[in-house]
Amino acid sequence: MKRKIEHPAPSERSKAGPRYWRSLDELADTPGFREQLKKEFPQGADSIDGVDRRQFMKIMAASFALGGIGLAGCRRPEEHILPFGKSVEGAVPGLPVYFATAMPLRSWAIPLLAETHQGRPTKLEGNPGYAPHGGASSLLAQASVLDLYDPDRATAHTQEGKAIDLDAVKALLTGVGKAHQAEQGAGLAFLADSSSSPTRARLVRRLRLALPKALWAEYEPVTDEPPPTVARAVLGGNVRPIYRFAKAKRIVSIDADFLQAESGSLAYARDFAKGRRVAKKDDPMSRLYVAESNLTATGSMADHRLRLASSHMLAFAAALAGKVTGDSVYAKAAEGLTATPAWIAECAADLLENRGSSLVIAGSHLPDAVHAVVYALNQFLGSIGSTVDFIFNTKPHTVGIDGVAAAIAAGTVKTLVILGGNPAYNAPVDLGWAELQKKVPQVIRHGYYEDETSALSGVHIAAAHYLESWGDARTADGTVVPIQPMILPLFGGLTQNEVLALVGLLPDADPYKLVFETITAGTGVNAERIFTKFLHDGVLDFDLNGRVMTTAFKPVKVRYNPIAVATYLKGAEAPAKVSLDSLEVRFVADARMDDGRFINNGWLQECPDPITKISWDNAILISPRLAKELKIDSPANGLKQIARKDLAEFDKGRENAHIVELVIGGRKITGPAHIQPGLSNYTVVLPLGYGRTTVGRVGQGTGFNAYAARDSKNPHIVTGATITVTGEKTFLADSQWHWSMEGRDLVREGNLGEYQENPGFAKEVGLEAESPRVVLDPTYGDRTPANKASEIPRGNSLYKTPSFDGVHQWGMSIDLNTCIGCNACVVACQAENNVPIVGKEQVLRGRIMHWIRLDRYYSDGKADAGAFGGEGNMEIPEDPQISMQPVACMQCELAPCETVCPVNATVHDPEGLNVMAYNRCIGTRYCANNCPYKVRRFNFFDWNMRSLDSLYLGPMGPRGMPELVQMVKNPEVTIRMRGVMEKCTYCVQRIERGKIEWKVKRAQEGHPEDVVVPDGTIRTACQQACPVEAIVFGNILDPESAVSKAKALEQDYALLGYLNIRPRTTYLARIRNPNPKMPDYTELPLSRVENWNKNHPAKA
Amino acid sequence: MSHSAEHTAEAPEILKEVHPAVKPRSAMVGHNRSFNWITEKICGIAEEKTPVWWWWCFAVACIVASFTVAGITYLVATGVGVWGHRNPVNWAWDIVNFVFWIGIGHAGTLISAILCLLRQKWRTSINRSAEAMTIFAVVCAGIFPVFHIGRVWYAWFLFPLPNSNYIWQNYRSPLEWDVFAVSTYGTVSVLFWYVGMIPDLATMRDRFNAVGKTVRARLYGFFAMGWRGSSRHWSNYEMAYLILAGISTPLVLSVHTIVSFDFAVSLLPGWHTTIFPPYFVAGAIFSGFGMVLTLILPLRAIYHLEDLITQYHIDCMCKVILATGTMVGYAYAMEFFIAWYGANPYEGFAFINRAFGPYWWAYFIMITCNVITPQFFWFKSIRENTTLVFVLSLFVNVGMWFERFVIIATSLARDFLPSSWGYYSPSIVEIFTFFGTFGVFSVLFLLFVRFLPIMAIAELKAVTPQADPHAGGDHH
Repeated sequence: MKRKIEHPAPSERSKAGPRYWRSLDELADTPGFREQLKKEFPQGADSIDGVDRRQFMKIMAASFALGGIGLAGCRRPEEHILPFGKSVEGAVPGLPVYFATAMPLRSWAIPLLAETHQGRPTKLEGNPGYAPHGGASSLLAQASVLDLYDPDRATAHTQEGKAIDLDAVKALLTGVGKAHQAEQGAGLAFLADSSSSPTRARLVRRLRLALPKALWAEYEPVTDEPPPTVARAVLGGNVRPIYRFAKAKRIVSIDADFLQAESGSLAYARDFAKGRRVAKKDDPMSRLYVAESNLTATGSMADHRLRLASSHMLAFAAALAGKVTGDSVYAKAAEGLTATPAWIAECAADLLENRGSSLVIAGSHLPDAVHAVVYALNQFLGSIGSTVDFIFNTKPHTVGIDGVAAAIAAGTVKTLVILGGNPAYNAPVDLGWAELQKKVPQVIRHGYYEDETSALSGVHIAAAHYLESWGDARTADGTVVPIQPMILPLFGGLTQNEVLALVGLLPDADPYKLVFETITAGTGVNAERIFTKFLHDGVLDFDLNGRVMTTAFKPVKVRYNPIAVATYLKGAEAPAKVSLDSLEVRFVADARMDDGRFINNGWLQECPDPITKISWDNAILISPRLAKELKIDSPANGLKQIARKDLAEFDKGRENAHIVELVIGGRKITGPAHIQPGLSNYTVVLPLGYGRTTVGRVGQGTGFNAYAARDSKNPHIVTGATITVTGEKTFLADSQWHWSMEGRDLVREGNLGEYQENPGFAKEVGLEAESPRVVLDPTYGDRTPANKASEIPRGNSLYKTPSFDGVHQWGMSIDLNTCIGCNACVVACQAENNVPIVGKEQVLRGRIMHWIRLDRYYSDGKADAGAFGGEGNMEIPEDPQISMQPVACMQCELAPCETVCPVNATVHDPEGLNVMAYNRCIGTRYCANNCPYKVRRFNFFDWNMRSLDSLYLGPMGPRGMPELVQMVKNPEVTIRMRGVMEKCTYCVQRIERGKIEWKVKRAQEGHPEDVVVPDGTIRTACQQACPVEAIVFGNILDPESAVSKAKALEQDYALLGYLNIRPRTTYLARIRNPNPKMPDYTELPLSRVENWNKNHPAKA
Repeated sequence: MSHSAEHTAEAPEILKEVHPAVKPRSAMVGHNRSFNWITEKICGIAEEKTPVWWWWCFAVACIVASFTVAGITYLVATGVGVWGHRNPVNWAWDIVNFVFWIGIGHAGTLISAILCLLRQKWRTSINRSAEAMTIFAVVCAGIFPVFHIGRVWYAWFLFPLPNSNYIWQNYRSPLEWDVFAVSTYGTVSVLFWYVGMIPDLATMRDRFNAVGKTVRARLYGFFAMGWRGSSRHWSNYEMAYLILAGISTPLVLSVHTIVSFDFAVSLLPGWHTTIFPPYFVAGAIFSGFGMVLTLILPLRAIYHLEDLITQYHIDCMCKVILATGTMVGYAYAMEFFIAWYGANPYEGFAFINRAFGPYWWAYFIMITCNVITPQFFWFKSIRENTTLVFVLSLFVNVGMWFERFVIIATSLARDFLPSSWGYYSPSIVEIFTFFGTFGVFSVLFLLFVRFLPIMAIAELKAVTPQADPHAGGDHH
């Protein structure tokens, strides 16, 4: 083993040349060194002196022993897994499958596409096949998927509190039918919620044939359609109006929140936006006049807004009609109106100037006479057939809840079947429903939750969610849409149709067949084909030899009857005087809870109200004037009033609201008061839908119940209420607590006239327009301010900026001109990106997690001028202009968050996205501090793994996410753990999926080089949900893309562009279209006035 | 006339030379104390039987320190949510406390290094304890940036350790600069402190040996590194000390400059200010000297060190506080001027908001403590009133904490978009965690007082009158 190495003796030549040595030892040529040289491994030479036999045997024996004992055959046993043979045909694991379905609402439905992952629906999108919605959806539709996985939903059918199985339920229901068959249904009563389903209508008809003496009643606590009786009297038919906002040049809304609350609002919002959008100087733009008592989404879009008590709306309508028609018949009804006559006169003149393209709308909740006057106005203005059509009203004329109540009181009801609804909670108080219901010997309740009504019912039948159901519905224009189950009923729930079929003793109560029979009635051999197409498309239309027949109702001709109008006017009373001692009270459906049915939906609970920005509660809304008179207006905030007063008293960043007691007709309502600008001075608004008592964990203890003071005589507007301040206080969880822009150039607005003269006005408002030159660029002077903000060539910075060499460069444009602040984007983003909810306590602590939020500002033109000595108003405005602004991560090209992250957890990708590496994030929160838009959200707790009531228990609390809740999560988006920062990524998962799909497709077609995804293929969740198409996303490298075109518009500007951070999301300035002749006309929008005063104090 | 002429003639001659009044230099050690007295005095503190007051203080300090331990344990187990942070205010007491403690840590090195290089002999009696204070303050400061992060178990991501995911640190981030600035500062401070202590440790070793306490003698001997006091040792020691002083000097400026970059480099109105580096350094020295006085005055009273920490020392420190406090006041004024002069409405608002907004009380506490308090030190009578100096030094500490709070919280609470404005208030956990750090600091400082020579014995002897060959007016 030992090897001797003989080094050659140095040659003569090498001796002659320069001599090099490795060490001094070599130079000295010591004997030790010479010995060293001979060793092959000098380092180990002294330890291993060769290996002898014994040593070898010892080492090898040890090695073998070790190998034999510990490691012989140490190999993982081979186990073969086999793929699951039975799968849905065509399903690709990991890719979502989409099905058409629809979400049924009170009187209409929203056609949807449901995204399912491995058979579970996770996200809903509007069905683009239904043209009036154009693929948009609403806040409620976006949130409804969460209800499907609500752990608190009714999970079993119960009889007297004991669970019964499905067969028992079926036997019970057929038993009810049989028991009442002999007496033709006498003693049997039904109380159902309203529905647009053709199948249900068919089943009800059948039921009435089979059991003619049974009582069928329908009840909805909230109304979203005008009373059919007025239309019948004035227009001579069972019709209801459908508005064509895109055609209307002048719109007058009389207390109608058509953008959010009325039936078909989704299509209306979209249509309205079409009439408002301007791309060029001479684009026409509609003008919206709103007279309203509450501040609604519609009111926030108004060009002229008149604050007026709802009880004065008849006088207003009559005054307007009087001015428009010149007819004296309206004079009497118009008496006692307090509004400025000039407002009405100029508004009327404007309507007359635009005869044939003007439109007047009345809120559904208003008294009959107002509707009659509005029909007369539309008739006179030539709007009928132009901007308003009348279509057949499918809503059956049925008995209301009062009819059932009377029958129960008379003792004629032996069996009561309650389908949906929740009368024990929301029936008018004067009926005393809870007591009445107890009198009925047998009450069968079919409902989604075990609620107040179920608690008083002997039998509760668990209802299936619409995503588990076979069904059908009609949209607002009458188009029939399918409701398809995405998943088998998770808890064996039944649909209403099944219940009706069972009680009606139909031979086959199979829910699928019930729908199939309705849809395909009379189609003969084509039935299967038609039904398949119906389910596939998600809308019902018939292809008759190439002519497509939609199921939308055709407009019907109406015969206007002026005498009927006069009759309605004759009965009109003078408007009640409203004052501090005699307040007007309005009951309105909450924008999120609706009538209370969505109270256990965490997404909706946490979604701030579009106007008040309160989450997890409702509040008694009072005007600033009323607050002052009650001495509960907010105190100064700080040593000196440097910013405008806050809406309420804030205690450590939490709205500390005064609890007030409202007495309405002898009934008391107690709740927190929230000061709401824009309210009619003596109108108090009570949002319905909160304060439920028998409710799941999410809805527990949220808000107060406004139904408790609502009777059947005045369900919408009551006068004569009084208010007292109790002296107690409670916290309200606002997501935004300062309401003034403080004269900053955040939401840039201009009037149409200004825009037509100077389309680029928005670029001259901003601070960047006045900023000095910041980079050394010879072309700098020629650049427009916006261009300076976003296009300055890089290279003058010491820092290496991202290269942006991707084939796509993503960007977004948000049109402030059309945004109505409906919140659909907020919850769409929440559903898409697994954004957690944090609960009221944490919202109060400012930890709401929404990746996109809606900033809402009020301006009255007087903010902060006072700080510079001019005439200013630091108070809350009474009559503000409202500006909405959706804000999400702007994906800044020079992102300030990126430079400050010490661990490189937030970085730029080549396509311009500011991406988050969640696994790298350690949570310094520096990025959030340095983000000027404050769109970064920090996981202060493990929101996903801890229950919201035990966040502070830490490891002592329960851990884990309920299995049901896990099912709603989008598998394509990481669930973030605590300590991690998160934010909008332009839905990077959608971008990547879109790119992959496109690449695969083009590669298969033989064009692997074509990797640029065509415009419109990839849509972000917020964009997809937006009903008004305010959000446009796409590739800004492509000049033909929608986003490039939007950004090329003159009114495009960058929020806080002066910071030179170059946001990829830019805004289109809002344009208002006021009438210069109106008394409340201002040359500049009020936010611009504030901006001017702030920046030019001397000239103010 | 003649009279007047006569008068003129009698006028005194113009002085050929003007000598300023000879003002005797203040003695660094009072009462002409001998070398032995100094050794006995300082070593005696560590050698004597542990006094009862020490045990009481130590017990209380341990209890207070346990607040920090408990607070941090709860934080790590539960989440940052147990603190009061909220969306616009993502940094609050955590970073306030960090900057506060780091600022306190400034005086130690300033006294040791810069005053050493400037040959300010009055540093000798206070430098040891000031350096100890620095190190303990850095320990307290270090707690906050480490534990304020969301996932503390990944804090090692901050260090350039090779890892398999190929993500490196971001050297553009001031927080990353902090990591190096603070760790360098900590390391150098410890080295400086330790090297300076070697001769004194050897003294203590010898004294323990002499009385037969071999265990302690060995322990001190270990740390004394075989110091024998030979000329060669002294020569090496002096050189090492000088080099360390040279290395430390830029660190005094760099640490707080870099800490100020955390704010100055951001784009937040109220943070994005070029005045921050010098202003932070001045503030740090200000607070550091405040803390030195807070610590040394009780120590002086307890151990009767009036001959070593003389009125002259206190005077000097008061004057430094007066100078730096005034600089800080100037910076406050200049911030406002620039905000106005810059004509950026966001910037302007940030400063008006600071003074008059919802946090006005914090701002005026800051102004009172930092600008008004030091002005008292113009008066000799106040500088000579030890109790008053002690009280005023407490004000300085409070004021400097509030300065950081004002900068951090008010700027974050109301920044660009009013929609995101908020108001921060601390949670009980945060408050306890912070007060606990005073316990941590006290525990360490009490241990220092008990076991180590609290003054540089060797250096003190060098500044006694006897050490001066010209002492006693003997002009050789």
